Amino acid sequence: MTTVSTWTRNRWTVPGVSGLLVLASFVAQRFGGATVGDVLMVAAAVVAGAPVVVKAVRAALVRVVSIDLLVSVAAIGAVLVGNYWEAAAVTFLFAVGHALETATLDRTRSALAELVALAPDVAVVLRDGEQEEVPTRDVRTGETVLVKNGAKVPVDGVVVGGSGALDEASITGESMPVEKADGDQVFAGTVAVSGFLQVRATGVGSDTTLARIIHRVEEAQDAKARTQAFMDRFAAWYTPGTIVLAVVVGLLTGDVVLALTLLVIGCPGALVISIPVSIVAGIGRGARDGVLIKGGEHLETSARISAVALDKTGTLTEGRPSLTDVVALAPGVTQDEVLAVAARAEAGSEHPLARAVLDAARRAGLAVPGLPSSTEPVPGKGIVATVDGARIVVGNLALLAAEGVDGAAAHLVVDELAAAGRTPMVVARDGVVLGVVGVADRVRADAAEMVRRLHTAGVRNVVMLTGDQQRVADAVAAQVGINEVRAGLLPEGKLEAVAALQRDGYVVAMVGDGVNDAPALATADVGIAMGAGTGVALETADIALMRDDLLMIPQAVSLARRTVRTMRQNIVVALVTVATLLAGVLVGGVTMAVGMLVHEASVLIVIANAVRLLRRPREARAARLTHVKDLADARS
Amino acid sequence: MSTRTTTRTTLRAQGFSCPSCVAKIEKQVGRLDGVDSVTVHFASARIEIEHDAERASVDDLVAAVAKAGYTATPA
Repeated sequence: MTTVSTWTRNRWTVPGVSGLLVLASFVAQRFGGATVGDVLMVAAAVVAGAPVVVKAVRAALVRVVSIDLLVSVAAIGAVLVGNYWEAAAVTFLFAVGHALETATLDRTRSALAELVALAPDVAVVLRDGEQEEVPTRDVRTGETVLVKNGAKVPVDGVVVGGSGALDEASITGESMPVEKADGDQVFAGTVAVSGFLQVRATGVGSDTTLARIIHRVEEAQDAKARTQAFMDRFAAWYTPGTIVLAVVVGLLTGDVVLALTLLVIGCPGALVISIPVSIVAGIGRGARDGVLIKGGEHLETSARISAVALDKTGTLTEGRPSLTDVVALAPGVTQDEVLAVAARAEAGSEHPLARAVLDAARRAGLAVPGLPSSTEPVPGKGIVATVDGARIVVGNLALLAAEGVDGAAAHLVVDELAAAGRTPMVVARDGVVLGVVGVADRVRADAAEMVRRLHTAGVRNVVMLTGDQQRVADAVAAQVGINEVRAGLLPEGKLEAVAALQRDGYVVAMVGDGVNDAPALATADVGIAMGAGTGVALETADIALMRDDLLMIPQAVSLARRTVRTMRQNIVVALVTVATLLAGVLVGGVTMAVGMLVHEASVLIVIANAVRLLRRPREARAARLTHVKDLADARS
Repeated sequence: MSTRTTTRTTLRAQGFSCPSCVAKIEKQVGRLDGVDSVTVHFASARIEIEHDAERASVDDLVAAVAKAGYTATPA
């Protein structure tokens, strides 16, 4: 019983049997058994056609004219007029094509299926001190779940015990495992590759980041692109139009075969799926890499991006100041001494610039014992502190003048550092200038590479927006290769800058964190939120990047362009197929079998073209493979 | 608002290959007693149903989709 049912459920059984019968029929005819040949041919048509007729009847019962109905009528008609080969060929090709379609179509949806499969069905929960295995949906927030090596994390939560490494590729696209310890956040659907974690659930069921991603991807795949409306209208007109044409032609010419052939080519196959398959594949590809695009329309807009506006602080730079220069100016004083004195003076300060100096001193291995006996911050200028009885001044030239220190020795260095976009702080002890330390918000390592790749991806203009002063902004722009800078902007100024770019005819993408620059993100044609692993940005941004990785921006632009290109190719394939078949039938030369063959081929070409989007670029795939292998080696 | 409760169920279907599946399933499931609305998404192969779970259970919905010729599992 089970073998029979699996046999009938295998998608290749029907076309296989039908194909064998067609072959047997040819063999019979070859050896003169004409009647036997005809019987076998009709049998082939019946085997391949029966499921089609069943579907057609089901659809007709709920008053839907389906493709199955067209094929059924054509095949039955062909048998009635004695055209057995045509009937068998049409149904056989349709069955083969259909089996291939379902196999490949499900591949275009594979990214979503993978996401859905990530959520584990069972979780191990601590209840009354006992480990209990329960269905994941029964875990309540606040409960503690255990995640063992090799298991999937069932809920969003916070680590409350143990430690281990998680593979978070499913959520962020990051292929390197991330170490987790007390207080760290973990996501449902990530995999423990080592260690043992106790996690307090903060989000369960539909309230996990994974569930939100799945929901977003589904919504995105179903959101129709503008182009699709046109194709849908065309398809809606095409099928009934062809049926009417078939009836009219049949009545006028009395040529039944011609009319039936028209019915076969009335199937709108490639027309209706050409766009959805491209979008499903493109959005699925993005989801695998941690690039979440909101829908077909946003894909189409993103493919036309010609200007990208970026916030300087926190996007192009690390977002916090760090020490860049130490210059010793007094005779016999070393760089380390200048830094150590500055650090001692700043030890009691909470200022971000002080943090940069202290971090650098710690990294250099300099001791910063205790706090100054007195600390006196001078807003906007610096700090005056008493350390071991000495009066230390760290700040700008104005502070030195106010303190009565002669800062002439430092002028040149201060000007040089300021010109390079850094904040210079002069260090003086008991009225003598020891040296200068320079602090700057450091440019991120891959910022220049990102700008280069954006240009390669076809973005004409990359613009930096910042509230910072022009000189600092220019220095950063020079480092990363940006040619347009808008500095000294207030928050509403960013919105205005985006609008100005739009007035100049640019399609503008704005990159931000999705919180502070919400107005500018909303004004831009495409709002891109960086590091949107949590919260609002995931729901609202047109493109949400799950990692705080600059190189994902050009990646998203390229993906959008590739997807739209695929969409266009598919539309061309569909329309050319329709036009060729119609012309071919009316001029003559296209038989029922040829019509069905071309029709199925066009559908498969369209699907295969979309599936190409799902493939990783080759080098990325290789890198991932070696990485997986390393992991496996590490575990064994 | 009536007193009866409406549940929202999402099914994931397999074997969607043509948009005429959409109309078929929408009509087949929509006929069920207790089903208020059916939305079939072709691209992501999802079926969203608003129904009264007392009169039309999730199993009934899956059976109705099966009658239209497709396998579906509750999400």
